[in-house]
Amino acid sequence: MTAPCIIIGASHAAAQLSLNVRQQGWQGDIIVIGQESFLPYQRPPLSKTFLSGEKTVEDLLIKPESAYEKANVSFRLNTQVVEIDRQNKTVTLNNGDMLEYAKLALCTGATANPLPILGANLKGVHYLRNAHDAIALKSDISSKKHAVIIGGGFIGLEAAAALRQKAMHVTILEAQDAILQRVVSPEVAAFFTQLHESFGVVIRPNSIATSFEGSEAVTAVTCNNGEKIPADVVIIGIGVTPETRLAEQSGLTVKNGIFVNEFAQTNDPDIVAAGDCASYFHEIYQTDIRIESIQNALEQSKSAAASMNNKQIAFSSNIPRFWSDQYDIKLQICGVIDGYDAVEIEQDLEKRVLNALYFRKEKLIAAIAVNNPAWLTKVQPFIKNGEPVNNELIESMRQK
Amino acid sequence: MSANKVWQCITCGWIYSEAEGLPDEDIAPGTAWEDVPEDWCCPDCGMDKSDFTMVEVGSNGLGF
Repeated sequence: MTAPCIIIGASHAAAQLSLNVRQQGWQGDIIVIGQESFLPYQRPPLSKTFLSGEKTVEDLLIKPESAYEKANVSFRLNTQVVEIDRQNKTVTLNNGDMLEYAKLALCTGATANPLPILGANLKGVHYLRNAHDAIALKSDISSKKHAVIIGGGFIGLEAAAALRQKAMHVTILEAQDAILQRVVSPEVAAFFTQLHESFGVVIRPNSIATSFEGSEAVTAVTCNNGEKIPADVVIIGIGVTPETRLAEQSGLTVKNGIFVNEFAQTNDPDIVAAGDCASYFHEIYQTDIRIESIQNALEQSKSAAASMNNKQIAFSSNIPRFWSDQYDIKLQICGVIDGYDAVEIEQDLEKRVLNALYFRKEKLIAAIAVNNPAWLTKVQPFIKNGEPVNNELIESMRQK
Repeated sequence: MSANKVWQCITCGWIYSEAEGLPDEDIAPGTAWEDVPEDWCCPDCGMDKSDFTMVEVGSNGLGF
């Protein structure tokens, strides 16, 4: 009998991958090993509708249990893999069990970067990465009034919007000159700064938290200028680090992520990786890249599932896509906004218009749209195919 | 007559144009939303076809 296909990490990538492996013809067992107690669930709503609404984690499950039963995919939840032995093709679990594999998938995701300053263990100080974090935060905010969010990235901004909807006072501490520095251009950052300020969020650039005050629960955040900002809830959203420990220990190539080829294979052809933990060489951008998005997890999973069945589906020339919900705004990004030398932008906060095109050497490399998905759909092929952008496309961004 | 409605995922804003289909996923141009396979999921947010509501946002393609 063939050894099973084992998937480490019960993530969005794992949900897709497990069902896809079966669909593409895998005959043997499929086992998903997850550290958390839940079947794979959708992470994006954790910082959005889950915080502001009535949903439970069960409502966020990607597939019901029956879908996995039907595909004969089994789960070992609350379980950690402590070691991969590539020579003998086994994994060792934290309870001492050893499982053989024929094919192995790493869908280990990423973990929230810690902020190890004084008071970080006080009650009321939260991260927002997994369902446990979100449940704890949600139960905490029901009785709280003053939130300080550390980090003006997407997680911080989405959480800010959700907490404002609950009428909390919200202050965002941003270490850089402006929010969203790592991901968008200054004009777009300014649009989102104004958006949040119009809803009453206080954004403090160049502000670094140096300690949390309080005896049992947090009462204030002290900043680098000495100022103390009252807080009964703190959310730390300062980026994530890909979970690559198992890959490194077993001698797989790691470059800001578990490095995979265009078919999602690591340097061991029997081991694939997909999702936030994986990095790769992007064919169009000609650079190593690691993308934290659902679309990326889904597409890499399809390639990984094919590889496990000795087929080939390449993903590495796909254009990254990403979305974020804040208030009445749906932001969509396609492409990678890095190294651009020209930008065309049309914006009007009042009218909720923001369309932007980013160019490098006259080629379109990325685009942003707010509440304008049809336009973005039209733009995307220009990025993918490298076609010169015509006036019609530029003109189209002026309309809505 | 081939279908030409345009649908939008209410979760992430992704657009499905019946006229264009999704050739990369073997969904031919002209495939009506109702004929998209039940196990299809939104390429951007991963929502199942059965789990989310697509809203009709227009017809005759995506003309600006």
